[in-house]
Amino acid sequence: MTKQTTDPVGKSVPRIDAYDKVTGAVQYVDDLQFGPGLYYGKLVHSPHAHAIIKKVDVSKALAVPGVKAIVTGEDTPHRMGLYMQDRYIFARDRVRYYGEPVAGVVAISEEIAEQAAKLVEVEYEVLQPVFDPYEAAQPDAPLLHPDMAEYQWPPFIFPEPGTNISEHFKLRKGKVTDEGVDPEVWAQCAAIVEKTFRLPQIQHVPIEPHVAVARWDLSGEVTLWSPSQSPFAQRDLLAQGLGIPHGNVRVISPYVGGGFGGKAGISIEANVVVMAKAVKGHPVKVRMTREEEFFCTNVRQSLYAHTKIGCDKDGHVLAMETAYYFGGGGYNDYGVNIARAAGYSCTGPYSIPNVKGDSHSVYTNTPIGSAMRGFGMPEIHWGIEQIMDRLADEIGMDPAEFRRINCVKTGDTILTGMKMPAVDLVQCIDKVTEAINWGKEEPPSAPHKKRGKGIAIMWKAPAMPPNPGSSAIVRFNEDATVNVYVGAQDIGQGAFTVAAQMAAQVLGIPYEWVRVSVNPVDTKYSPYEWQTVASRITWSMGNAVRAAANHARTQILEIVAKYWDEDPADLDIKNGVVISYKSEREQPLKKMVVYGLPNENYEGWQGGPIIGSGKFMPTYVTNLDPDTGQGARAVVHYTVGAQAIDLEVDTETGEVEILKIASAYDVGKAINPDLVMTQIEGGAVHGMSSAFEGMFFDENGRLKNPSLVDYKIATAMDIPKEIHGDIVETPLEDGPWGARGVGEHVMVQTAPAIANAIYNATGVRFDDLPLSAEKIYRAIHAQEEQEQ
Amino acid sequence: MLHEITLNVNGELHIVPVKSHHTLLTVLREQLGITSPKRGCENGECGACTVLYDGKPVNSCMVLAVEAEGHVIETVESLAKNGELHPLQKSFIEHNAVQCGFCTPGMLMSAKGLLAENPHPTEEEIKHALAGNLCRCTGYVRIIDAIKDVADHS
Amino acid sequence: MHPFDYYKPKDFDEAFAMLTQPGKKVIPLAGSTDIIPMVRDERWLPDAVVDIKGLPGLRDIKLVDSGPLCCAGQTAQCLYIGAAARMNEIAHSELVQQYASVLAQAAQEVGHEQVRNRATLGGNMGTASPAGDTLSALLVLEADVLVKGKDEERCIPALKFFLGPRKTALQPGEIILGVQVPPLPEGTLGRYLRISRRKGADLAIVGLSVMAIPAEGGYQWRIGLGAVAPTPIRVPEAETILATGHDEATVEKAIQATLAAARPIDDIRATAAYRREMVVQLTRRALQDIIAQIP
Repeated sequence: MTKQTTDPVGKSVPRIDAYDKVTGAVQYVDDLQFGPGLYYGKLVHSPHAHAIIKKVDVSKALAVPGVKAIVTGEDTPHRMGLYMQDRYIFARDRVRYYGEPVAGVVAISEEIAEQAAKLVEVEYEVLQPVFDPYEAAQPDAPLLHPDMAEYQWPPFIFPEPGTNISEHFKLRKGKVTDEGVDPEVWAQCAAIVEKTFRLPQIQHVPIEPHVAVARWDLSGEVTLWSPSQSPFAQRDLLAQGLGIPHGNVRVISPYVGGGFGGKAGISIEANVVVMAKAVKGHPVKVRMTREEEFFCTNVRQSLYAHTKIGCDKDGHVLAMETAYYFGGGGYNDYGVNIARAAGYSCTGPYSIPNVKGDSHSVYTNTPIGSAMRGFGMPEIHWGIEQIMDRLADEIGMDPAEFRRINCVKTGDTILTGMKMPAVDLVQCIDKVTEAINWGKEEPPSAPHKKRGKGIAIMWKAPAMPPNPGSSAIVRFNEDATVNVYVGAQDIGQGAFTVAAQMAAQVLGIPYEWVRVSVNPVDTKYSPYEWQTVASRITWSMGNAVRAAANHARTQILEIVAKYWDEDPADLDIKNGVVISYKSEREQPLKKMVVYGLPNENYEGWQGGPIIGSGKFMPTYVTNLDPDTGQGARAVVHYTVGAQAIDLEVDTETGEVEILKIASAYDVGKAINPDLVMTQIEGGAVHGMSSAFEGMFFDENGRLKNPSLVDYKIATAMDIPKEIHGDIVETPLEDGPWGARGVGEHVMVQTAPAIANAIYNATGVRFDDLPLSAEKIYRAIHAQEEQEQ
Repeated sequence: MLHEITLNVNGELHIVPVKSHHTLLTVLREQLGITSPKRGCENGECGACTVLYDGKPVNSCMVLAVEAEGHVIETVESLAKNGELHPLQKSFIEHNAVQCGFCTPGMLMSAKGLLAENPHPTEEEIKHALAGNLCRCTGYVRIIDAIKDVADHS
Repeated sequence: MHPFDYYKPKDFDEAFAMLTQPGKKVIPLAGSTDIIPMVRDERWLPDAVVDIKGLPGLRDIKLVDSGPLCCAGQTAQCLYIGAAARMNEIAHSELVQQYASVLAQAAQEVGHEQVRNRATLGGNMGTASPAGDTLSALLVLEADVLVKGKDEERCIPALKFFLGPRKTALQPGEIILGVQVPPLPEGTLGRYLRISRRKGADLAIVGLSVMAIPAEGGYQWRIGLGAVAPTPIRVPEAETILATGHDEATVEKAIQATLAAARPIDDIRATAAYRREMVVQLTRRALQDIIAQIP
C-alpha cells in the first residue's frame, strides 16, 4: 500500500480487477473445479425452424453407458420469461427456431453426452416458418404462439394475441391521429424523406461462450454457477419457474468474459438447472460451443423500420411517422421491452412536435432476440440518422448544424411529454466536429479512393421496469480498510473499480484501502441488484454505494463527536483520519472502526464494528398512456452523444478504411475518466464492427455462419487509424456526483455515422445492414452506370 | 488411444496420460488445472487459448496434446517472476488494456511471442501479430499501446 | 470430438504401413490446423492420424541439386521446402524470400500468427482448399511436388497436383515430402495479393499470384488464381498476351483474359460477380505493381 489516492472520484485510478486478470488468477465459470462428481450435459437442438413435436424417444440415448439422465419438455411444464412468459425451458409442443433445446442429456463425460445427444429421436411435423419481422406481423402469417392469450405479461406490455405481435407500443404527439400526422403539417414541410430500413440479427460474440453449472441438492437447495449480468434476475426466474423458494436458489457468478447484454436475463441456465434436478447431488456442467453460442443463445433482434420525417425550409423538423418491427425470434421474453424502449424513444435525440410512432416486437422463427448493447437504439438510429442527413442535404444545410438545431435540449418537452433532464448534446456535436475538421475537405490517400466525413448523434435511456433497485454494504476492517459488497457485476466495464472509488470518496479514505467483495457475485451473500444492464450500474449501484458509505460515515462521526463532545457537523474524515474543523483534533479510523472508542477514564465504550448499508431505487417513473405513450416521466434519464467519422472508400474494391472516429458523450460526471475513454474506444470498434456483421439463414431457418470463420468481428488489423474521445460533463440530478451511464451508448450511432461518411465520400446510401465491401462496390458502380 | 507423455509446462515436467484426440487446451485445463488458456471457440479463430510453444504463439486448441511432448509450453502463469509482474503485465494494467479479461492471457502470450522475435515492432507489426486474438471489449487500442510502451522502453 | 488414434512413425516404412491399415480411415497429420476443426465439425471422421512432421527432411528449407525426379534437368540448384515447414518458417526464410518471393508473401497471408506457427505447406496442399493462399503461388513457381508411397518416390508437377476441392493427385498411403522450386533468373519479380472481408485472419475471397521472369530481353509472365475455381488455376491466355509487352492496352487485355479464366461461385463470403470484379482489380494492381519495379 505505497500509493495513496485520496478523493479518488474523478481520478483515473487503475482497475481494481486488473492484477488478477493479467496474472491468470481470475477464475471464470469454466475454470472452477467441481471434483470427480461432476457430470456434463449436452443439449439436443431442433433441426427445424418451426415444427410440432410429435414424439420424443430417448430410449436409445439413455442406453448409452455413462448416460445418467435425459430431460425433455415433459419435465418443464411451466412457462417462463422476464417480461413475456412465453417459453418452456425445454420445448414441449412445438419448436420455434432452428437450434431450440428439445432435450438435455447428462452423462459422466462431455463426449458421451455429445454422442448420446445424437441418439435422441424426435419426430416433427414441419410447419411453415416466417423469418422477416414485417411479414410475420401480417394477419396471414404463420402463427408461432397460438396460445398467446394465456401467457402472462406485465401491465406495461401490450401484445396482440391472435397475431405474432408480442408488443405494440404507440406514441402519439402533436397534431396526429392513428392515421398519421396531420396532412397540414406535412404541407408545411420543405423536405420529406420516407424510407424503409432493414437490419439483420447479429450476435454479441463475447469471447467467453455461455457456460453454466448447476447442482440440485437432496435438501432441495439449488446452486447455479453462471457468468451472468443478472444473478438476481436468474434467481427470481428460476424460483418462479421451478416453484421453489427464492431462498433455496443460489446463483454464483464469478467474472463474466464479456456480456454486451447476451448474458443478461436467462438463456441456457434454466435448462442446466432442470438437467441437474434429474441427477440430484451432482453438479452438471453445460458449455456452449461457439456454434451453439450463435444459434442457441440470445442475439440482437432484426429490424424492419419504415420511417418518414419532414422539415421546413429553415431546417426545423416538424413531423415524423415511424413503424418499427423488431424480429424478436421464437420467444420474446426479454425482447418485448426492446420494442417498448424503441417506441418511447422512437424519434432519436430530436425534439419533434408531431410524432406518430408504432413499435412492435414480432415472433419470428429465428434465434431469441434479446438485450444487446444499445437495446433497440442502434437499430432505430440506423434509419433516423440517415434520414436526418438526407433532410439536411435536401434543404442545403450542413448536417451538423441541422442536428444542432433539432437535437434535444435541457427542459424540452420530449415525445412522451416528459421534460428532458439536463444534457448538452450540442457540446458533444461541437467536440466531434472539431476533432475531425468538419467541413474541411481533405484529399484521399490515392486516386482510386474517395474520402468523406459523416456525423451521427444518439440518445438512450436505461430501458427497464420503473422500479429496479440496487443495494450495497460497506464494512470496515480493524486497520480501516473497507470491504464493499455489491450485487452488480463487472463485465469488463469497471463497475467494481468505480464502486471502490465512490466508497473511498465518501469515507474519506484512500482508494487503495478499499476491497470489493463481489467475486463472485453470490445471491446468498451479495446485496440485491436488479441486473447489470442498461448502463445503469454507475448510476444506480453508485447511488447505493454512496448511501451505504454515508451510512457508515455518519456512524463514525457520531461516535467521534460524542467522544470529543462536539457536533458531528464540525467533523470530517480526511485520508483515514477524523478531524474536527472546530477543535482541530484528530482521530485515526484505525481500530476505532471495529473496537469503538472508550468513554472518559475508560468508563465503558461506545461504537462497534462499522457496517453501512444503502439502497437506491428510482421512485418517479410513471405509467404511459397505452394509446399515446404520453406520461409525466417515461424514463429515469437519457445519455446523449455524438460521433463523427473521417473515412476513405476504395472505389476499386469497396473496402472502407476509417481514418478517424471521434466520439463525445455527456456522462454527467466521469467517476474514472480513463475507464470512460476505454468504453468510448471499445464501443467505437464494436459499433464499426457491427455495421459489417450479420447472421445469415437458409430457407429453412438454419444459420449459415455459426462460427468465427464466417461471422467476422473486427480484429486488431481492422480498427480505425485514430480513435478520439471527449467527455462532456453536465451533471445528472440524481446521479452519484452527477454521473450517468455510458456503456452502451458508445456504439449506438456508429453504423449510421459510417453510412453518412460513405455517402459524403461516394454519393451512395445504404438502407440495409450489414455493409460489406462487396455491397459498397456494387452500389458505387451501379451509381456510375446510372450517371452514364 | 491413451498415451503417457511428459509435458513441459512453465518449466515443470508433468507426466500425464492423454487421449489421442484431446487437444493441448483440454489437457492443460482439465488435467493439469492450468486454466489461463481460455476455451473460446476451439476452432483456432479467437486466440483466447494462445500459449507459447517453443517460444512461439500457437492456439492450444489447434495442437493435439500428444504432439506437445518434448516441446516447451508457456502460459501466462509463467510470466511473473520472483513475485514481480512481467513488464507486459504491468503495462497492460497501466494502459487499462484489460476489460472483461477473457482474452487477456492469450493477448499477453501473443505479445510476448512477438517481442521475443521482434523487440521493437511498429504499430502495424503489433496489429498483424494480434490478428488472431479477438477482443470484443477494448477495441484493441490500449492493448496495442501497452505492447508498444514495453517495446519502446526495453 | 470424434475420437481417433494417433501414431508417430519412426520412419517412412512405418508411416506407410500406418497410413494404409486395411479398413481404416487414416489421415496424415502435420500442423493439425485443418484436421482438428474438420474432425470437430465431423466433416472428417478418421480412425487414426499419423504424425509425419518428425520424418527426416520434412521440415528442411534448403537448396538442392536437380534430381532424377523433381527439378530434373535444371543446371542450377532448386529450392527445397519440406512438407512440414511451417507457414511462418516459409514466410521468414531468407532462402524462400530470395528464390520464391511470391510463396513467402502468400505464406505471410495465411490465417494469423498462431496458425502460421503451426500450419504447414504440405498441409495446405493436402487439404487442397481452393482458397489456400500458397497454392496459386506454387502454380506460378511451377514447383514440383515430391511424394512418397510404399517403396518409391515420384514427382508431380504442382500444375497437375490439384484435382478439385480437397482432391489431389496423391495415391492412398502417399505423403508429400516437399516441394522443389526450380531456379529463377535474377530479376524475377513476384507478387501475391488477396482480398478478404476483414483485413485480419480471414479467408481469401480472391487470391492472386503473379510473376515476371526476365526472358530474352523481355519478360515471361505467370499468373495464378485462388478461390475462383474448384482448384487453384494458371491463366496461360493472359500470360501469352503479356509476353508481347506490358503497355497499358496489353495489360488490360491480359486482365480480361484472366477474368475469362475465373469460374467463381457464390458463397457466404462473396458472390461470383464480386469475385470476378476483384480478379480484375487484383490483377491490375499486381501487374502495375510489378511493372513499376521493372527497371
